[in-house]
Amino acid sequence: MADNPFPLDREGLLQAYRTMRTIRGFEDRLHLNFAKGEIPGFVHLYAGEEASAVGIMMHLRTADRIASTHRGHGHCIAKGVAPHEMMKEIYGREGGSCAGKGGSMHIADLDVGMMGANGILGAGAPLACGAGLAAKHRGDGDIAISFIGDGASNQGTFLESLNLAAVWNLPTIFVVENNGYAESTSRDYGVAVDSYIDRAAGFGLPGISVDGTDFFAVYEAAGEIIDRARNGGGPSLMECEMVRFYGHFEGDAQTYRADNEVADLRASRDCIALFRGRVEGAEVVAAAEFDAIDAGVDALIDDAVASALAAPEPDVSALMTDVYVSY
Amino acid sequence: MTGSEGVVVGLIVNPVSARDIRRVVANASGLQIAERTNIVLRALSALGAVGVDTVVAMPDRKGVRVLLERSMQRDRNLGRTLPTVRYLDMPVTSTVTDTHAAAGQMADLGVAAIIVLGGDGTHRAVVATCGRVPIAGLSTGTNNAYPELRESTVTGLATGLYATGVVPPLVALVENKVLDVSINDDEVSDIALVDVVASTDRYVGARALWKTGSIVELFVSFADPEVIGMSAIAGAIEPIGRRDQAGLHVALDPKADRRVMAAIGPGMVERLGVTDWSRLKPDEARKVAPEAGTLALDGERELELSPGDRATVTLRTNGFRSLDVGAVMSWAAENNKNLTDQQKNTDQ
Amino acid sequence: MTTVVGTRLITYREAINEALDQEMTRDPSVIVMGEDIVGGAGAPGEDDAWGGVLGVTKGLYGKHGDRLMDTPLSESAYIGAAIGAAASGMRPVAELMFIDFLGVCLDQIFNQAAKFRYMFGGKAETPVVIRAMVGAGLRAAAQHSQMLTPIVTHIPGLKVVCPSNAYDTKGLLIASIRDNDPVIFCEHKALYEEQADVPEASYVVPLGEANVVREGSDCSIVTYGMMVGRSLEAAALLEQEGISCEIVDLRTLSPLDLETVTESVENTGRLVCVDEANPRCSIAADVSAQVSRDAFGSLRAGIAMVTAPHTPVPFSPSLEDAYIPSVDAIAGAVRAVTS
Repeated sequence: MADNPFPLDREGLLQAYRTMRTIRGFEDRLHLNFAKGEIPGFVHLYAGEEASAVGIMMHLRTADRIASTHRGHGHCIAKGVAPHEMMKEIYGREGGSCAGKGGSMHIADLDVGMMGANGILGAGAPLACGAGLAAKHRGDGDIAISFIGDGASNQGTFLESLNLAAVWNLPTIFVVENNGYAESTSRDYGVAVDSYIDRAAGFGLPGISVDGTDFFAVYEAAGEIIDRARNGGGPSLMECEMVRFYGHFEGDAQTYRADNEVADLRASRDCIALFRGRVEGAEVVAAAEFDAIDAGVDALIDDAVASALAAPEPDVSALMTDVYVSY
Repeated sequence: MTGSEGVVVGLIVNPVSARDIRRVVANASGLQIAERTNIVLRALSALGAVGVDTVVAMPDRKGVRVLLERSMQRDRNLGRTLPTVRYLDMPVTSTVTDTHAAAGQMADLGVAAIIVLGGDGTHRAVVATCGRVPIAGLSTGTNNAYPELRESTVTGLATGLYATGVVPPLVALVENKVLDVSINDDEVSDIALVDVVASTDRYVGARALWKTGSIVELFVSFADPEVIGMSAIAGAIEPIGRRDQAGLHVALDPKADRRVMAAIGPGMVERLGVTDWSRLKPDEARKVAPEAGTLALDGERELELSPGDRATVTLRTNGFRSLDVGAVMSWAAENNKNLTDQQKNTDQ
Repeated sequence: MTTVVGTRLITYREAINEALDQEMTRDPSVIVMGEDIVGGAGAPGEDDAWGGVLGVTKGLYGKHGDRLMDTPLSESAYIGAAIGAAASGMRPVAELMFIDFLGVCLDQIFNQAAKFRYMFGGKAETPVVIRAMVGAGLRAAAQHSQMLTPIVTHIPGLKVVCPSNAYDTKGLLIASIRDNDPVIFCEHKALYEEQADVPEASYVVPLGEANVVREGSDCSIVTYGMMVGRSLEAAALLEQEGISCEIVDLRTLSPLDLETVTESVENTGRLVCVDEANPRCSIAADVSAQVSRDAFGSLRAGIAMVTAPHTPVPFSPSLEDAYIPSVDAIAGAVRAVTS
């Protein structure tokens, strides 16, 4: 084995790969099973975007909080929500992260700092300000992150949150996951200037834009801005320019994309393949080790699906529980 | 070049320069897309005013093009005359590959000059493939050792005066130095316009170089005490002008007693340990220290070195041509090129 | 309601499309805007890639071009813009994709559009239609499945429409577009594929008129939206038990056709209000209170209300099915008031 030139040790590199690969495996399986009609409702898949979630989340503590989007499975897995519980939730079964009552768009696990995927675009930004406010009060250097898409960056809640975080100097970081499409609408149409850093600059906040398919670029930049926030340096914005392989929702034929666009992106901008290529190329991890992780992930996903299918639907009495703490 | 498109000038705007981590770690300025667009619009007005018909531009995917088209439409609504802007037909990857491709195509088209908006990295990328086409640089990056901070209206005017033949090349153009980098006898080769920095770090990561603890040596094509960036270290020791036939080679060591104070980045003034320095002569290949792991070219980590790689840096004095805006404007004034008779105007 | 034999069967979704198409053809001041109502804007693939998230507006772009405007994801801004355009002489039809997103743009609707005419002393007209998908049944979970009709019905200055079938949908949408007040046009997403006989020619179903979809003598069921179909199913079951139900489809929630409701209750003497909304301050509660006030003497039993529970909409299919008022629950309520 060669020297390790990367900013993570071997264990870290393996963990990064394992987490990204788990997200990919999870999303790919949902894509297949949704097409079979097994999964109720709407799902929005994160495949292709893994480097953003993992490159950022590897710097976070359990006490740090994140607010996610409707496309939240990747954030959940990277933050430590259990894949088995997530799968049960997506299938609407007992034992799901939200007891089957939330579904794909609302998976949350506050114990690991995951404040929820969200069906309302832009709703997470003020919530992340709140988590930042609480962290600032506690004074232990915890931070909060709001993930948001290029489309949702046009929501008033996002812009208001940048302002609020700036005037209160909150340890809240805004990550714009720019995959170029707001549902079917291109950013060239819907975003007046395709630069989220410029939006942050309007509020006096620094920003940084990275290639979201380059794990190491994401990891390094995230490390700097998270450190800054932990140490009283306040909020900032990071743009991850990335690609989504599947449609806005499962069932979206993606006719708004160019012919071969997705195939070309899979061939040239697959963040997991790029990561693996670099690390194997530097001879820090052998192909066989990565292959073993692949096999392990596949087995994990198989098991998660099997346990979801085996789990019962929630008892009808669950309809009426947990509306309030007390009433 | 005149043909069916009339006088043609190239335009390369890097939409992603000044976007990196120095905005977070060092209060660096980030020029907004809207501001870059305004800079382009001012240059276009000037080009149009002196008879440049067509501007061939590099397409992009992240905002400058869309905003420029919207702004030009607005300006046309207001009755302003601008050159036609035509975008090259090429794939957009939003990486330096685009700049290489665009500059190469513009050279093939025979554009009179290329106006470049960006920092050192952008200008470097243009120079890599533009051949002998002169460039007119405008600074919008973070490290702006090479390009000038100058009002774009004037750069546009000067470029237009040269492109339309009013000011001759002998007056308008100057040669610039570059540093040629070679690894293992050109197995890998690259250039830098301003500086090559060798550090013991072994990965490229977030590209921008800002941590100085691992730097072992620095090569510069000129040493200007008034700029920021790694070349400022050289400028703080032994200034060497852009037209001088020399460069500088500096050896650094964080443990050295002798320290030089330099503005190595925006808002970043450090004292670095220096052990030795000497002038570079043109065409003399200097070996890079064996403990180097990465080479940063013009402020960005670009080349990773494996143990056993042999890297050299060579100063070359006729690296590329650029427009001397000051010389053009002075000569035009001194030779009455700004004065026209009304009658002459109507004949043309 | 008369159905002309020989007209075509089209879906609720197609009826919406047709209404928009015909009104845009007739009146150049009608414009349509919303998120991805065309789809693919600025993107390299097909134009009109979506025609709305569930394809309701597909094909309109080819006929009416720039009068269909895709919007950025900014409900506050574009719903507000539609309202401002309406106040400035246009007749916009703006789509709020899911009524659950109401919170994002509520001020523009309830403080601006609803109040201009009154606050400005009768000098303003705001002929905007805001189309929104309502209702549960597609497992879309808590933030995409609500029946928020009570919230908009409560606001003076807004009209609220919620058709139950394709025929009413076309006529009511045409009427809403021609109406000079702001109208919240609620489309039940679970009814999009339901077919009915719908004339090809343009026609109007007036706002503020309820429709007796089934005549009966023992009990009045007053309802709207998807619950109309369920009430009809319950009535069929009850018929076999010798209970004859009259069903009043409100169609418009504001203004409410209370007269048709009270007339029905005066005939039957019993009332069951069926509402997919949550119970507190619901349409069911509102209708019940008004009937108590105006037709108390005609009632031979207390009024029953069948509504969703006081909970958010759950995701899991079995829970969502338990959430939505069922045919059995409706039949049970009728039995209870008629026993």
